Amino acid sequence: MLNDLIFIALPYAALALVLLVTPYRFLSNRLTWSAYSTQFLERKVLYWGINPWHYGILPILLAHVLGFAFPGFFKGFLGNQQTLFATESVLFGLGAFAFFGVLLLLLRRVNSGMLKRVTFSSDWLVLYLLAFQAGTGIYIGYFMRWGSQWYLHTAVPYLWSIVSFRPQIEYVADLPLVFKLHAACAFLIVAVLPFTKLVHMLYLPVDFLKDPPLLYRWRSK
Amino acid sequence: MDVRAQIVMVFNLDKCIGCHTCSISCKNIWTDRKGAEYMWWNNVETKPGVGYPRQWEDQERFKGGWVVDGKKLKLKAMGKGPTLANMFFQPNMPKIEDYYEPFDFDYGNLAGAKESKDQPVAEAFSQISGKKIEEIQGGPNWDDDLSGSQVYAAKDLNLKDKKVIESYDSMFMQYLPRICNHCLNPACVASCPSRALYKRGEDGIVLVDQEVCKGWRFCTSACPYKKVYFNWSTGKAEKCIFCYPRVEGGQCNACAHSCVGRIRYVGVLLYDADAVEAAALKGDAELVEAHRDVILDPRDPEVCRQAKENGISDQWLDAAAASPVYALVKEFRVALPLHPEFRTLPMAYYIPSLSPVLSTWGDTHKLLEHGMIPALETLRVPIGYLASLLSGGNHAVIEEALKKLIAIRVRMRAENLGLPADPELLADAGLDEAAAKRLYRLFTIAGYNERNVIPPQQREENDPEKRRQEGGFGILKKTRRGGK
Repeated sequence: MLNDLIFIALPYAALALVLLVTPYRFLSNRLTWSAYSTQFLERKVLYWGINPWHYGILPILLAHVLGFAFPGFFKGFLGNQQTLFATESVLFGLGAFAFFGVLLLLLRRVNSGMLKRVTFSSDWLVLYLLAFQAGTGIYIGYFMRWGSQWYLHTAVPYLWSIVSFRPQIEYVADLPLVFKLHAACAFLIVAVLPFTKLVHMLYLPVDFLKDPPLLYRWRSK
Repeated sequence: MDVRAQIVMVFNLDKCIGCHTCSISCKNIWTDRKGAEYMWWNNVETKPGVGYPRQWEDQERFKGGWVVDGKKLKLKAMGKGPTLANMFFQPNMPKIEDYYEPFDFDYGNLAGAKESKDQPVAEAFSQISGKKIEEIQGGPNWDDDLSGSQVYAAKDLNLKDKKVIESYDSMFMQYLPRICNHCLNPACVASCPSRALYKRGEDGIVLVDQEVCKGWRFCTSACPYKKVYFNWSTGKAEKCIFCYPRVEGGQCNACAHSCVGRIRYVGVLLYDADAVEAAALKGDAELVEAHRDVILDPRDPEVCRQAKENGISDQWLDAAAASPVYALVKEFRVALPLHPEFRTLPMAYYIPSLSPVLSTWGDTHKLLEHGMIPALETLRVPIGYLASLLSGGNHAVIEEALKKLIAIRVRMRAENLGLPADPELLADAGLDEAAAKRLYRLFTIAGYNERNVIPPQQREENDPEKRRQEGGFGILKKTRRGGK
């Protein structure tokens, strides 16, 4: 029952929301497409929170995505004991870094009077989900060793079964509870993404890299 | 030659009385909103002073504007790669304390306080946190009129010799009203990774597209004049829009319209867009001349021909020819760009002030040489100070403008009193009788339509349906944050 909920109902609900609501929001209300920076009001703690968080979580997210996209390559790449050990260590360090960052970001919202006015329930939801996700992530990293290897043999084939609409939850059904919570939280994050400020991660400004410095807009041209 | 039109404001600092009427009319129209309480798109500073935000001129701290790197211009703050790397935390962004924590007063307490022995007072509270403020720490004109202050004025970066303001014999004071300069080479536009900031091709007004702005905050520090603000509620950048909804219809800006001292002139300049970059690459001392070289003569038939080719209408060309701005900036060379060394080619120009029209104490006999008006060499305001503010350190540029201002004053004073006019005086200053009369008229009795020559844009004739939802300010839709 729990397995069906976490590994079938949640992912499809999350997929449906992110695929339908995100374009709707993009087309209907682009005004809110922002990370709602609060650096202007509080910057000291933000510096120590936001940098560790982003620089920690981005490579880890990328590792998850790449492992999902190219499992064959990474099975070979991590086949070597030294490479596996180095990869695990680096990812664990980055995870701890990110966890430290997100905890600071949470405490900052609690402690700063100025920030109360710009903190809404969606901000709390996102921060708690991300903190829980990072926390369970480093727990799994530490107590369920060689995750970068077994991820490729359990979660990745399961995820492929989900996206090909032939869900095979037996790949992940017998894993420990903490893994299931990590997966459930991941799907929740995907589900709330289009409703919260998390949408900012779907916009990467790259056009300006090739553009000339000055931008003109003409009404007639 | 790529001829474009730019709508430009000139400020006659000699006439500014520091009444802040411009700031108030701007605030009432554009920034009387949540998230914008601390923004003053138009503000008036006392000079010497630290200004608003405090010490905005300090580019070592805020890293605004451009610097010359070999034969190229680059943003002082960072290139494109570091921009991506500093997206999460923008290291040069000014913080709320650099402006001030916006406050209001709890007037309800005056009527609603419980009975007590003391009179109830309207206590100050923060417009951001809502908490009571025991002691207000700053405001938009916190150092108003404190030009002798060791706490504020002495920190003015333009003031090289701090001793000047220590003595009643030599201290001086002027006002500096500031809006967005709508630069020809805007650093804010160049710094935006989302490309939300843009310069309008037709009139040069620089705007922030609120739909595109993602709140990366690079513009707030890239603007060396600190005229792009971060709205803490909407999470987006906002700035002076040169009152484009008024200007497009031929009305002048709210700040200029309400100006009590009638210090402001609004008009059209034609410029050569191809020459902008080369001008910005010149050395500090040559920048004012480079500015003037970019501006084109609207009476030159070749310029007019190319302007028409670029789609500039006859109505705009007529306005350019009648432009008080062209007369003050290029023809008579009395209006100067604010801090040209920031290399954004600002399109707001300032006529330097003689104020206070006094010589330093002890030079009274020299003062009398010119009647009541002191000679250039004895003016209280240090030439070096004005040069640091308005000419990239070039003293000759300032002296040329001040000489003209003094000559006109002396000439017109003589005329009013029926005294014999000194024929050499105007010629020495580089003016003739007609020029002196024209400037005198512009400085004193010119009416609204002489000070402001603004051609309407007739957008209604130009596919209006294509421009729905264009905007550079505020947010008209609900942002749906917190349901408010």
